[in-house]
Amino acid sequence: MNHIRNFSIIAHIDHGKSTLADRFIQFCGGLELREMSAQVLDSMDIEKERGITIKAQTAALTYKARDGQVYNLNLIDTPGHVDFSYEVSRSLSACEGALLVVDASQGVEAQTVANCYTAIDLGVEVVPVLNKIDLPAAEPERVAQEIEDIIGIEATDAVRASAKSGIGIEDILETVITKIPPPKGNPDGPLKALIVDSWFDNYVGVVMLVRVIDGSLKPKDKIKFMATSAEHLCEQVGVFTPKSVQRQSLNAGEVGFVIAGIKELKSAKVGDTITLATKPADEPLPGFKEVQSQVFAGLYPVESHDYENLRDALEKLQLNDAALKYEPEVSQALGFGFRCGFLGLLHLEIVQERLEREFDMDLITTAPTVVYEVLMKDGVLLEVENPSKLPDLSKIDEIREPIITSTILVPQEFVGAVMTLCNQKRGVQRNMQYMGRQVMLTYELPMNEVVMDFFDKLKSTSRGYASLDYEFKEFQAADLVKLDILVNSEKVDALSLIVHRQTSVYRGRALASKMRELIPRQMFDIAVQAAIGSQIIARETIKALRKNVLAKCYGGDITRKKKLLEKQKAGKKRMKQVGNVEIPQTAFLAILQVGDK
Amino acid sequence: MSTIALTPMLGGLRELPPLSLYVHVPWCVRKCPYCDFNSHEVKGGFDEDGYVQALLSDLETELPNVWGRPVRTVFIGGGTPSLLSAGAMTTLIQGLRARLRIDPDAEITLEANPGTFESDKFKGFRDAGINRLSIGIQSFEPAKLASLGRIHNGIEARRAVEIALSHFDNVNLDLMYALPHQSLEQALADLDTALSYGITHLSAYHLTLEPNTLFAAQPPANLPDDELSADMQEAIEQRLAEAGFEHYETSAFCKPGKQSRHNLNYWQFGDYIGIGAGAHGKISYPDRIERTMRFKQPAAYLKAVAEGNPAQSRSKIARNDLPFEFMMNLLRLTGGFESRLFAERTGLPLVLLEPALRDAEAQGLIERDLTCIRPTEHGQRFLNDLLTLFLKE
Repeated sequence: MNHIRNFSIIAHIDHGKSTLADRFIQFCGGLELREMSAQVLDSMDIEKERGITIKAQTAALTYKARDGQVYNLNLIDTPGHVDFSYEVSRSLSACEGALLVVDASQGVEAQTVANCYTAIDLGVEVVPVLNKIDLPAAEPERVAQEIEDIIGIEATDAVRASAKSGIGIEDILETVITKIPPPKGNPDGPLKALIVDSWFDNYVGVVMLVRVIDGSLKPKDKIKFMATSAEHLCEQVGVFTPKSVQRQSLNAGEVGFVIAGIKELKSAKVGDTITLATKPADEPLPGFKEVQSQVFAGLYPVESHDYENLRDALEKLQLNDAALKYEPEVSQALGFGFRCGFLGLLHLEIVQERLEREFDMDLITTAPTVVYEVLMKDGVLLEVENPSKLPDLSKIDEIREPIITSTILVPQEFVGAVMTLCNQKRGVQRNMQYMGRQVMLTYELPMNEVVMDFFDKLKSTSRGYASLDYEFKEFQAADLVKLDILVNSEKVDALSLIVHRQTSVYRGRALASKMRELIPRQMFDIAVQAAIGSQIIARETIKALRKNVLAKCYGGDITRKKKLLEKQKAGKKRMKQVGNVEIPQTAFLAILQVGDK
Repeated sequence: MSTIALTPMLGGLRELPPLSLYVHVPWCVRKCPYCDFNSHEVKGGFDEDGYVQALLSDLETELPNVWGRPVRTVFIGGGTPSLLSAGAMTTLIQGLRARLRIDPDAEITLEANPGTFESDKFKGFRDAGINRLSIGIQSFEPAKLASLGRIHNGIEARRAVEIALSHFDNVNLDLMYALPHQSLEQALADLDTALSYGITHLSAYHLTLEPNTLFAAQPPANLPDDELSADMQEAIEQRLAEAGFEHYETSAFCKPGKQSRHNLNYWQFGDYIGIGAGAHGKISYPDRIERTMRFKQPAAYLKAVAEGNPAQSRSKIARNDLPFEFMMNLLRLTGGFESRLFAERTGLPLVLLEPALRDAEAQGLIERDLTCIRPTEHGQRFLNDLLTLFLKE
């Protein structure tokens, strides 16, 4: 066990984590050169394109150190975005150490700080690395100081590296061996293996990524899941290099995969402990917190007969994404669809994109919302995650909205702009700390303001420098109202929003005017109204088209003209018919394009 | 003893529709940037005798498909067929009459463009048997003509109309509106000039940027917006009504009884032989309806004719395409059509259309009574929306 090191990499998006992982794999010969593609650990197309890591991946590396000894290094790659922070803590709990990779030209970002604190809380040794030192804008000394100021760990002798140009790779691996402790555990004790992640593979069923704490596990062992007491026969164990390689056994201190002929992902719950049925451990490992959906949105097929296909697609996605929640829902305007729960906006976007791309679905997504607690006059407490389901205001005692504590790291020159933004979003400042060049702002913000467009606004007001981390704090009563949109006097339930009374009139006007831009002119005038209760607060008219007719059609034109009309028809098909009005997909997300006062 | 009944094939046509002839002459002095018809610049000239002979040989390949059927109308279009000499025209029409049963009172139209007008030649055309002219004036205003890439100017436009009317009493003018930089007044001024000549027919087209034209790739600047061009259309329609013109098709207006009989046959889903480079035809048989298309490039066409097979394609209209193709033509007529015509021309029962007709009626796009189906004014304005109801899923 002294020759094992389990570590992960903590880094902000774009700070070079995946490239660094590639270098390690290359350096240790985990893959032949011809098998290397950029960012090998990001296996989903979306991960590669967006340059983000969504699912944790691992690589078992063999490294011959300068002391002449051979070490087994297990790299556990982690996602970098706030939406997936729960995956980070899972990955970290399988490790003894973590490399904190900071872009030497950018400095520390809020997400990195949060993940570092998670690591420190879990007792994981954090080793700083300054990446991208070959960039002209790199300031390794300043950034090292910043790491010490903000995170509070020693960083003066942090390794200077450039994953892109391959500078300092061996130095980092040496530091991993010297600074990160080997795993502890009892190789001869009863088996305790923590399920760090699990996913569904079409050929072998559920694959579990585990960290063996005590004991050992080999094929033909009868294993038992401590949370459910379910028993299965272990079929295969092995490690990822990152190719999957079978092993005779997985032993204490090691990270690897287990396949046990399990058909359903929910039988292999992440955070559960695997033990041996014949010689069980006394108690399970602590495990993880259950993931809660933070953001909700309705997903509807554009064509109602695609409902079943959408259900199948969601089911398949969920096999690999346990954080995705969905349940059937009916909208008067959109028909049958699903109300889905997501970890955050990025998660929503990714699910939507995967449904469209991998499953070829044509979707309408309703505006993202959060869950509200509604206290009824009769004392009943409801959870409302769909604005159109908000009960009649006269029966409501109070509506409580989720409040988050957000930490924003921003360079000094943008502090003013960011504070203005937080105030616009009904934020309450709790703290403000100067840390070198950066300022750490702590705000309590209503989550429903944040899910709309806060992140984009934050980035644009700070020219991309501000970073954000947040966690749920509590539900707080607020003066909230339901804003309805009526199209030709018909209420479109899928467009309803819950907003603060203060901003409701402005939002209603802005939304109605945005809808006017987004709904194409049709054969008749269309009235778009915004209403709170029975009071109309805004009205816009989309003037009817004057005509839609082909000027010429003679004997030779039939085929060409027919194609033109078929195109027109296909364009209409991508819209949703509400009453007699055709509404394009984008209009259901119009609220995201509405600015603030 | 049993008798064998000679009943028409089930689902087929009980009688064949009227037959017309379209003759395409593909050359123009210059290709206009808005034009999506099969036209080619003459450049070094073309062999008109050779082409006329090719047309006649082409026709002979089609004769077995229309054996014995009288031809009601002939349209010689292009391109610019008025580039032909009077002599070539005489050979052509004599050749057509020798091969087909062309009605004695058939409407025989020639398409002509200003810039090709000489009085003697047009007298020759009339003597050859042409009895109707359709002139591509487009506008009388020099700046507008230039922006459309026309070869003629305002003076030539006027002269062309004068020459036409000195030899022919049945004349159509094509006008375009919603031209670059055009005002409502200018559009009406063009119309007034056209009406001042005592013509029998006028086609007023909204300038359309057709795919695969220069204008589609590089749209001209300062086109009137939707509101203004719709105002133009309404003003034009109103002024034509005041001048005693009947609005009988989307873009076509005529003095009483002076409809273009040839075009009317297209719009009533009649049959037509199409000869010449790139010409389209539609020919019904008791059991099917076919569309024909000739090779487009003049050189390829001449070669194909020489080899005895000028048709590039000949394809049956699929049964479920028939309703749309029928409607696409018939609903262009402001007066609509007699309901029985659907079964007569397509061989299909009208009940097939019942759901779409009901939908169209509910949307106020058509109205119907026991014998007729016609587009409402709303349906005429939104003909595309109306027609998409009849597209197959």
